Amino acid sequence: MTATPTPTPTPEPAGTAPSEAPEKDRTDERLVHRSLLSRLMGRPELGAVVGAVAVFVFFSFAAESFLRASSLSTVLYASSTIGIMAVPVALLMIGGEFDLSTGVMVTSSSLISSMFSYQMTANVWVGVGVSLLLTLGIGFFNGYLLVRTKLPSFIITLGTFLMLTGLNLGLTKLISGTVSTKGIGDMEGFASAQALFASELSVGSVQIQVTVVWWLALVAVATWILLRTRAGNWIFAVGGGQDTARAVGVPVARTKICLYLGVALGAWISGQHLLFNYDVVQSGEGVGNELIYIAAAVIGGCLLTGGYGSAVGAAVGALIFGMTSKGIVYAQWEPDWFKFFLGAMLLIATLLNAYIRKRAEANR
Amino acid sequence: MTAEKTTGKDTEEQVGGAVQDAAAAEGTPLVELSDVSKLYGNIRALEGVSLPVHAGRITCVLGDNGAGKSTLIKIIAGLHQHDSGSFRINGEETRLGSPREALDRGIATVYQDLAVVPLMPVWRNFFLGSEPVKGRGPFSRLDVDRMRRTTHSELLRMGIDLRDVDQPIGTLSGGERQCVAIARAVYFGAKVLVLDEPTAALGVKQSGVVLKYVAAARDAGLGVVLITHNPHHAYLVGDRFVLLKRGAMAGSHRKEELALDELTRQMSGGSELEQLSHELERAPVPQHLE
Amino acid sequence: MSRLERFRGKRAGARAGRAAVAGLLAAAIPLAGCSSTGGKRAEEERNAAVGGEAAVGTPRWKIAMVSHSGEGDTFWDIVQSGAEDAARKDNIEFLYSHDDEAGRQAQLVQSAVDKKVDGLIVSLAKPDAMKGVLKKAAKAGIPVVTVNSGQDESRKFGALAHIGQDEVLAGEAVGRELNDRGRKKAVCVLHEQGNVGHEERCRGIRETFDGKVRNLHVDGTNMPSVESSLEAELQSDGGIDSVVTLGAPFAPTAVKAAEGAGSKAEIDTFDLNDQVVTGLKDGSLGFAVDQQPYLQGYEAVDLLWLHRYNADMLGGGKPVLTGPQILTKKDAPTLQKYTKRGTR
Repeated sequence: MTATPTPTPTPEPAGTAPSEAPEKDRTDERLVHRSLLSRLMGRPELGAVVGAVAVFVFFSFAAESFLRASSLSTVLYASSTIGIMAVPVALLMIGGEFDLSTGVMVTSSSLISSMFSYQMTANVWVGVGVSLLLTLGIGFFNGYLLVRTKLPSFIITLGTFLMLTGLNLGLTKLISGTVSTKGIGDMEGFASAQALFASELSVGSVQIQVTVVWWLALVAVATWILLRTRAGNWIFAVGGGQDTARAVGVPVARTKICLYLGVALGAWISGQHLLFNYDVVQSGEGVGNELIYIAAAVIGGCLLTGGYGSAVGAAVGALIFGMTSKGIVYAQWEPDWFKFFLGAMLLIATLLNAYIRKRAEANR
Repeated sequence: MTAEKTTGKDTEEQVGGAVQDAAAAEGTPLVELSDVSKLYGNIRALEGVSLPVHAGRITCVLGDNGAGKSTLIKIIAGLHQHDSGSFRINGEETRLGSPREALDRGIATVYQDLAVVPLMPVWRNFFLGSEPVKGRGPFSRLDVDRMRRTTHSELLRMGIDLRDVDQPIGTLSGGERQCVAIARAVYFGAKVLVLDEPTAALGVKQSGVVLKYVAAARDAGLGVVLITHNPHHAYLVGDRFVLLKRGAMAGSHRKEELALDELTRQMSGGSELEQLSHELERAPVPQHLE
Repeated sequence: MSRLERFRGKRAGARAGRAAVAGLLAAAIPLAGCSSTGGKRAEEERNAAVGGEAAVGTPRWKIAMVSHSGEGDTFWDIVQSGAEDAARKDNIEFLYSHDDEAGRQAQLVQSAVDKKVDGLIVSLAKPDAMKGVLKKAAKAGIPVVTVNSGQDESRKFGALAHIGQDEVLAGEAVGRELNDRGRKKAVCVLHEQGNVGHEERCRGIRETFDGKVRNLHVDGTNMPSVESSLEAELQSDGGIDSVVTLGAPFAPTAVKAAEGAGSKAEIDTFDLNDQVVTGLKDGSLGFAVDQQPYLQGYEAVDLLWLHRYNADMLGGGKPVLTGPQILTKKDAPTLQKYTKRGTR
């Protein structure tokens, strides 16, 4: 750790205590170029990838039907519905904040577009647009409140979570008269919106849900932002050292609000999928999913304290979730143990991450 | 080491280098505080403090906890404004409104615990807040190659040879982290470098490393304000020593006016310490220890 | 009469609130592109406004219903509207509360008892937790009717009557229907882990069904996960020829899952809603087992009114069964009208 650079030697500070002993050999060690392996070891998503391979191999043996192309497509679909949210949630967590309102925000978003279209008898695309604006508004509310009040995001989004849960039920009941929305499948624009948010694509003989495409696109965009743009640098910085970032001129407040807007965008995409896949939305849905998104991000190598993680990792975390939850079904196991199994997975993955990170840092 | 003559404002400007000639004088100080006071409510945090910062010179500010060092830093860094006295940058009376304004005027402050973001790679830290980009519109992206190369070469210039600028800066030693922060300030065109206790949390060897880069920054022509409570460190690099005590100036000396032990004595409480040692000697031995 | 007017006023207030929200939405996008098909306009064209007012001259009694419903449960929503309609007719002030956690449900019952209501309607999903408060209600002289679940305990706890469906019986009916349809291998889809009633339904199926039944637990609050789990189940066993969902919202999802898995399995479901009836009509669903939630709510309130008005009783000490009723394609056209307005 305390490697000393080796420029022109300077006299030791006079009149001070004797210098610490052998540091020379460590200086030499530092000169060794980092191998590809140790570079790989330093990646945040490595633990998740190892975990994903392990789960995949495990279920390949445990469930004979797991390896069929159609099964894998189902697993990918399950993963994508988590992953679309896990990726922006991961970015937010790298930025050092939480969002507990994500699960119900997805439901809110789909309720808004469904009810607006229905009540206004509008082309559903209008509802979809209104939903985008209002959902971004919710995200902005979270972010703005956070930077203004400086309260922990845990508290603020817990508040939004409860408020949205209540609003979803209350407004739906008030507007639709029942706790689920009315079907909008016979309305104009539904077919084209469904094509965008909830269709299936044929790849060879396999049907791939369009959510998988959304998911991969989000991973690509998020990775690009994180690693190759100024905004990405700022996200890491506000999560890893907010005060330092502010001191060097990073717009901390703006960065955080944008992260919440990103989460809202993810919620909008998921919400539209929910609506156009099932036509009718149940207003009580979504509660509890926020923890799954966070868990996927953590399995993917995001530090709970912020400043470290990756979008690819979160996507792999979602994949682990998808493989495990469906793998248990393919293996035809008693499902009572499912939650236990998931919890154990989460712990193992997190421990593995911590272990690998430690090894990686020791290897430098 | 270098010596200076603080009164020679009228002579030609002189930058850099190990100037041995005590008669040689600097030009207008880059930053000059004279008789500055600061009140927090009715508590006088700083009173009548004067401090010149010349190009290529290191001004050390020494004082115990609560002596007013951090208030002084905050005024220079633009976080607080002084209540009376004058604050001149390049001879021009100024009142800084924000840290950003201070940065724009060439004053960079390196705080001991806020220097870098530990989990981020060295090169990302180096350019944090001022990242170069290429391409335009949605394709505008970080110029990663340039960032990596510049980081490496700039650190090399400061004498730090990092093989891998991709390692998290947290894996560097505390001294090296301070050095990266200093190198960053130099690279982004700082003329005045304010260092807040850069050696406070460091071991002896590490402290030496940091002081070396402080000296390197001075040699690059920067004016340096070094805040410390360690007279040994200060004496190694300082050209002028400003002593603070309970918010007031307890002395301002050029190096040649002052020997190390005198500085240490003044710094560590001077006559108060003598009094203490006197009392300790005469303290009666407790009975149960006899 | 003045009470009635106040009551009407409240209704008008709710309507005004609804209009205000709609107005707000309208103001958001003045130039909204309109849909010429479906939507609110179509609904309004379909429905003549249905008003309601009290048909009796009894004083305004107060009846509370406390259910074990979770948030946003479609089934209980229908029970509630049945109860509200009966309350309107019988000039009754109707109070509804619910909590899916037994301890908190008991607290809600307690607070109804504290309010000295004139009648109490309770669902006994977890009977043991309700024993104490129901005793207190009996002590306070409040008549109790149990609904939906708890038919075995209803009499023991001193309730007037139980109105509901025997879950095992309903399951058995499904099992027989599956036999009639020549099914060999069924999946019973449970969307709430630990729900006793759901376990009973699946057990009932297992008892009468000649083929094999497998239970599949899914996460009911996460529709995409329900779909993918069921898809996985169908992919892993191609021999499955029927799927029984335990809640109406999950039936259309099961249809999608079967499509996705390329399975020919027939989808059948417990309970009704508009989508289920549409499914029955177009043949994507085989049959639905209804327990008439509207009737449960309506009858419970009406019985309490009758009891107070005329000391009437129902069921003769036996549960009053509102189901099971097997509904198929031929019932769909009649049902559609009622599911659309949310009473079936």
